[in-house]
Amino acid sequence: MSVDTKTQEPIIQFTNVSKKYKDVQALYDVSFAIKRGDIFGYIGPNGAGKTTTLKILVGLIRDYSGEIKINNESLHTLINPGNLIGYLPQDVGFQDWRTVNHALTTFGLLSGMKKTDLQQRIPEILELVGLTEARNRKIKYLSGGMEQKLKLAQALLHKPQILILDEPMSGLDPTSRWQMKNIIRQLAESDITIIFSSHILSDVEDIATTIGILKDGNIVKIGSPQDLEQELIQGDTVEVIGEALMEKIVLIRDLPYVVKVDGEENNPNRLTILFNPNSDLNESIVSLLHFLSENRIVVKHFNYMKPSLEEVYLKYVTGGSA
Amino acid sequence: MSFGILFWDEIRGFIKSKIMITLWVGMPVLSIILHFIQPNAEGMPVTILTSLLLASIGGLLAAVMLSTTIVNERNAKVYDLFLIRPVKRWHLLLTKYLAVFLCLLIASILSIVLGIIIDYATIGLSATAIILEALKSLAIALAAMSISCAIGILIGILVNSVALAAILSIYLGEQLSVLAVLPSVLLENINPALFSIGIGLGITVIVIIIEIAIFNRKQF
Repeated sequence: MSVDTKTQEPIIQFTNVSKKYKDVQALYDVSFAIKRGDIFGYIGPNGAGKTTTLKILVGLIRDYSGEIKINNESLHTLINPGNLIGYLPQDVGFQDWRTVNHALTTFGLLSGMKKTDLQQRIPEILELVGLTEARNRKIKYLSGGMEQKLKLAQALLHKPQILILDEPMSGLDPTSRWQMKNIIRQLAESDITIIFSSHILSDVEDIATTIGILKDGNIVKIGSPQDLEQELIQGDTVEVIGEALMEKIVLIRDLPYVVKVDGEENNPNRLTILFNPNSDLNESIVSLLHFLSENRIVVKHFNYMKPSLEEVYLKYVTGGSA
Repeated sequence: MSFGILFWDEIRGFIKSKIMITLWVGMPVLSIILHFIQPNAEGMPVTILTSLLLASIGGLLAAVMLSTTIVNERNAKVYDLFLIRPVKRWHLLLTKYLAVFLCLLIASILSIVLGIIIDYATIGLSATAIILEALKSLAIALAAMSISCAIGILIGILVNSVALAAILSIYLGEQLSVLAVLPSVLLENINPALFSIGIGLGITVIVIIIEIAIFNRKQF
């Protein structure tokens, strides 16, 4: 499916990109565009083709069909796409004998940086990712979180315009995840376009400005987190938790501003109430609270519900495209 | 430019992982020990014994070292971070070959120079005769090691298991390197050193071209 590129010219444009591994079709006619400065969250089940897409973009997979343009130039004719792109692969290792400083120096030199520039850039980048203390440590002695930060550091070293992160939060503890998300947000503010894949939907929801859902090698949905959530909203819904609510379900159903009331027999103290989309939300809430109070119904919890990315994801991944 | 960076990176890796020191100290020491504990070698110049040792053990070490390193690095996905940069795939392979060959060349020179010194001190052969013999032996040994290095790389990029790579290197790497030594044994009236260099270089170039073609098509 094609995606609206909006008014801004995209920095990356995929057009009908397909990739087949022997008998397996990993990507099938994938087309989408990413705007400059976007944080593009790429989600999908295992084997959907996320890593294949990212590897094609960084030039590790070259035998694909279709067209990819970066800054309006074909990926095939770009002389050094590696200079524009920084890449944090999902599973990647370093030789045992390398120190943090040595790894960054080697990768910086291979990216075409000068030794004198690296002497200034390495401390800067280590500070950004929070690895200053570990500069002279051997990589094999770093913790999983620190190694992930080093992988991010090598991707950022040559100041790329586009940053591609394959499962950047995978295996990180909550603190490191929080730090990683902050760094990603910080980078996006400095006009770096970020594409990242993740299995952790709450992380994608937190930081992505655009989300692409991939299923069986196809992009089945793409849009901002708000757009995707909006699609699931049938109307405004509230959750009420109180005492013996099931007994009042018929009364609540008869209210003029209520369309639907759901409750479960094994949980008689909880109801979800869908308001009529034609009635004013604030008035509906006030009227409902007034009704509950008048009928001496004990309310312990009253919550406005919005669909989560998880629901959107499940709809498209398990239920097919809309 | 990336060629030089990769080459010195490999050399640094050998130094840091102590492979270099093990080769440079181990090979000369091994040839001396063999001279003293091998009764059949009594009277044989250490120089000759050393060159025989280099051709067999040196080649074997090269093939095993290269094949297992490459399999290990491929399995650990070390190459991804190199290949996303402006690095040519064949540079990765050729710098590995050259770095290992340089290490072995230095180890061989050290071993043979030590052999010359021992021979000069013990048997008392004329220095010129020993040096000429040593150079001939060194050329044959290096030709054999060059073939072993090339075969080691080929095994490294084709095989996925470290153990299998080591076994194949022992079978193939050493056996094929004998091709460089055979002419001097089988044929008369030829210059064995020149012939070995020719065969060694020819086979090495062919094998390296094949492995570059395979590595270029490899999926990462």
